[in-house]
Amino acid sequence: MSSGVPPWRASASATATTAVYPGHGEIPFILSTTPEMLMSSKATPAYIPVQARRSLTTPASTSTSTTPAQSKTTTDANRKRVEFPEPVRMYVQRCFAPENQISGVSRQEMELKLKSVITEAAQTDALDKINWESYPLPQVMVQNDKLRILANPEASTWGSPFAAQSPKRISTDDASRKRKSAEYQSENACPPWRQTNKSNVFEDRVTYSATDKRQRIDMKNSKSNANLEWRKKRFEDPRGGYGSSPSSRGASPSPVPTGPVVGRCQDLEKRYFRLTSAPNPDTVRPLPVLMKTLDLLKKKWKNDNNYTYICDQFKSLRQDLTVQHIRNEFTVNVYEIHARIALEKGDLGEYNQCQTQLRALYAQQLEGHPTEFKAYRILYFIHTRNWTAMNDALADLTPADKQSEAVKHALDVRSALALGNYHRFFQLYLDTPNMGAYLMDMFVDRERLSALSAICKAYKPDVNIRFITEELGFESDEQSARFILDHCSEDKLSEKDGAVRLLTTVQAAQQFEAAKADAHRVIDIKGQI
Amino acid sequence: MDTILRELEAGHRLGSGHRLAAALTPIDTPEHPDRLKSFYFFSNAAQLSTSLRYYISHLSGVRIPKEDLNAWVDIFSAYWKAIGEIVNFDEIPSRASWANVFDSWKDLANVLIRAYTNPGLEAWTIPCLYVVGKYLRVFASKADAESLSQGSVAYSEDDMFTDFGKNAKTEESARVLNRMFTLCLNDRAAMEESRKWGVYYMSNLLFKTYFKINAVGLSKNLLRALNAQSQDLPDKERYPRSHIVTFNYFVGVIFFLDENYAEAETHLAYAWNYCQKHAIKNKELILTYLVPCHLVNTHTLPSKKLLNDFPRLEKLFRPLCDCIRKGDLHGFDAAMSAGEEEFVRRRIYLPLERGRDIALRNLFRKVFIAGGFEEPKDGQPPIRRTRIPVAEFAAALRIGTHADARTRVDIDEVECLLSNLIYKGLMKGYIARERGMIVLSKGGTAFPGTGV
Repeated sequence: MSSGVPPWRASASATATTAVYPGHGEIPFILSTTPEMLMSSKATPAYIPVQARRSLTTPASTSTSTTPAQSKTTTDANRKRVEFPEPVRMYVQRCFAPENQISGVSRQEMELKLKSVITEAAQTDALDKINWESYPLPQVMVQNDKLRILANPEASTWGSPFAAQSPKRISTDDASRKRKSAEYQSENACPPWRQTNKSNVFEDRVTYSATDKRQRIDMKNSKSNANLEWRKKRFEDPRGGYGSSPSSRGASPSPVPTGPVVGRCQDLEKRYFRLTSAPNPDTVRPLPVLMKTLDLLKKKWKNDNNYTYICDQFKSLRQDLTVQHIRNEFTVNVYEIHARIALEKGDLGEYNQCQTQLRALYAQQLEGHPTEFKAYRILYFIHTRNWTAMNDALADLTPADKQSEAVKHALDVRSALALGNYHRFFQLYLDTPNMGAYLMDMFVDRERLSALSAICKAYKPDVNIRFITEELGFESDEQSARFILDHCSEDKLSEKDGAVRLLTTVQAAQQFEAAKADAHRVIDIKGQI
Repeated sequence: MDTILRELEAGHRLGSGHRLAAALTPIDTPEHPDRLKSFYFFSNAAQLSTSLRYYISHLSGVRIPKEDLNAWVDIFSAYWKAIGEIVNFDEIPSRASWANVFDSWKDLANVLIRAYTNPGLEAWTIPCLYVVGKYLRVFASKADAESLSQGSVAYSEDDMFTDFGKNAKTEESARVLNRMFTLCLNDRAAMEESRKWGVYYMSNLLFKTYFKINAVGLSKNLLRALNAQSQDLPDKERYPRSHIVTFNYFVGVIFFLDENYAEAETHLAYAWNYCQKHAIKNKELILTYLVPCHLVNTHTLPSKKLLNDFPRLEKLFRPLCDCIRKGDLHGFDAAMSAGEEEFVRRRIYLPLERGRDIALRNLFRKVFIAGGFEEPKDGQPPIRRTRIPVAEFAAALRIGTHADARTRVDIDEVECLLSNLIYKGLMKGYIARERGMIVLSKGGTAFPGTGV
């Protein structure tokens, strides 16, 4: 054995990885269970390699997790010694015949249905009684079930004997993973169909919530069936059917990436709707349409200034870009414009989403205005007081970035604040490039309180309010007086020699200190407008 | 007999988790340069589980219960396959890749995790989790480095947020390690045989992984989980010291990154005090964060003696320290920008920057000292001049920052700097703005802690 590694080794070790058995994880399972059950063959060739594989790759691979199910199925079939009659076998063959496939019914749904039909028949000893020639094919049953639910939303599948046959709506990945882990934990558990039933309890829940949702929508909008079908599709597995590669249970839980969609929608405007499954090309706009959309949106923003509308439109625009994997200068442009609008409106949640994407886009050298947005990023982290992220932002900067006016300004702001140099900070505040002032506005009051705390402690016995107005970037003495009174008691302001003065007493310092501590609580941006 | 199998036997015979873990360590040792190969060639895929089962069920003097036997056969089968991938580097280099090693090692990790679930292997075998977790991380970063060097990094398909899959394997390993962590944390067995003893080791591994993928934020979830369970965890003192020292180091750094320097110093100081004394590299890591922490908290600089053993740190910190001591603002700024890249990379830029306050304080202190003494009043000891014009500090600032004749020093800014030092307690006194004077406190407390 010491003469190098035999050729079979490569594949044997590769069973551990996801990609080597595309489709094998699912298809042998079905093909070797159903026909095996039917033909009651003792040792089909398909069965032996599975056994061998089991001993090789007990860990985390598709093959193992299906193996116990297989062996159980066979032992079960052997135990019962069911000899399936010819008509049943023909029926099964018809089910798998390509000309009998119905679009909209995935292979898994069909197989599931088929299994339950045969099992039921076998259990009730009806195998010989049913007229298999005219018995509806499972795919037809599935389709009818779907239509019935559509026609009558109240008739959800709760408790119905057909629960197991309800259209399968959760992703196969989830379902199979659940099932597999259950199997592993209880070696001598119930037969496979029971287990599928078990997992269907969960499907019921999904089904129910789907109808539930639909009812709500119905109330709002009675566009009904076409719409409903579309919505329903969102819960179906986009990757079902042939050629899907099963994910191994050890694989990362992240969703398997789907290929890009090419849109066919020609409408310029579209409401944002959060996708939960693969997008429908009919509702996705291709790039040339999106470009026109952007022009339209820019015009509308200028004329109407309706943020709710604009934000919604931009989100759907971004979504269309994402699902089509469009990542170019135009994408950057869209994100930049949306980020600027969000900034202007103080919608930091939305702004942050754009900013995160922009960072990734800039890293791909897609033009745009990287320094402008790197500067915003620094200011944003000052606002959110996220020092860990600030460190990252600093590490991101290239020497060239640091030469740019905006980045330099942001860095100066940061260092002025770090050192408590409020004098410098407010000078910078009054001279902010681009739209940075929108961001600085968000934390300028906080820094005013810090400065006032220091001033009250350092200056004695009082300071002219004029000084505060100038030092802390207020527009007028009235504005600064109002700000001061908002945070400390009235008696701290007094008039002397025709000038209003702030009495920098210990108490005033304490009051500002408290207000400052309050304002400096860490800001966590999760919510959006 | 094969070394690895002998270690497996010794581990079981002695009931020593560490001997057992030694068997699962995927490296050749100087004593056994062909350790991995000889294990790999001891069997082949077709007979592997049979031979392993036979071997493990016939260990001398040990009876392994049937369920455990199955688990060990599975574990060592997975291990055998992973070793095969490693051996490939020698045998068929064209087939060898760290990505394969990582994938097969991850399978091993999953088998192991499964072997520990309900109720699973006994707790004394926990070091196996350590060593598998440890190498999972190692192989992940090798695999990531490998794919980076091959330029085969594909842009993540549907999620632009990730760092473009740059650390895909490491992220994957983080998820597996996290499962190991919960496996330890949530064990409800009695303390003597609980996996809870592994909880700090596993969290250290996770911290390390999170730091590597720039996801320090995730560490806080771990801390939260640990805090929530703190009632049920044994006292830290009862854990192996190495676990606790490393744990404190990481917790210290996490606080440090949050600018919570007081907490950070407590943890880092613990790590520093209890760190194994010959672990120079670890001590250097601790000091990298402890020195800036100490500077911010206590305004003290590291002594030459302290940094004697750490030439790299000496080089990193010394120029800054000298400038701070002399009050040389210009030099300080220059040293900061000279070291900026390194500081930012080590994430110590922000606290070091605060050293400027200390440099400024030292500069202004010189003004106070240069001001000399008041006229002595009949026999009283001489008192320093405590009323100093702001203009004198402005002049000092000009010198300190090497301002040329044309640069204007803004008196308001000088006042602002003074007010800050007063606010932070580095100076004692007040500014009388209308008179343009600073009035410092008398009796040797004008610059607290500096003797004047």
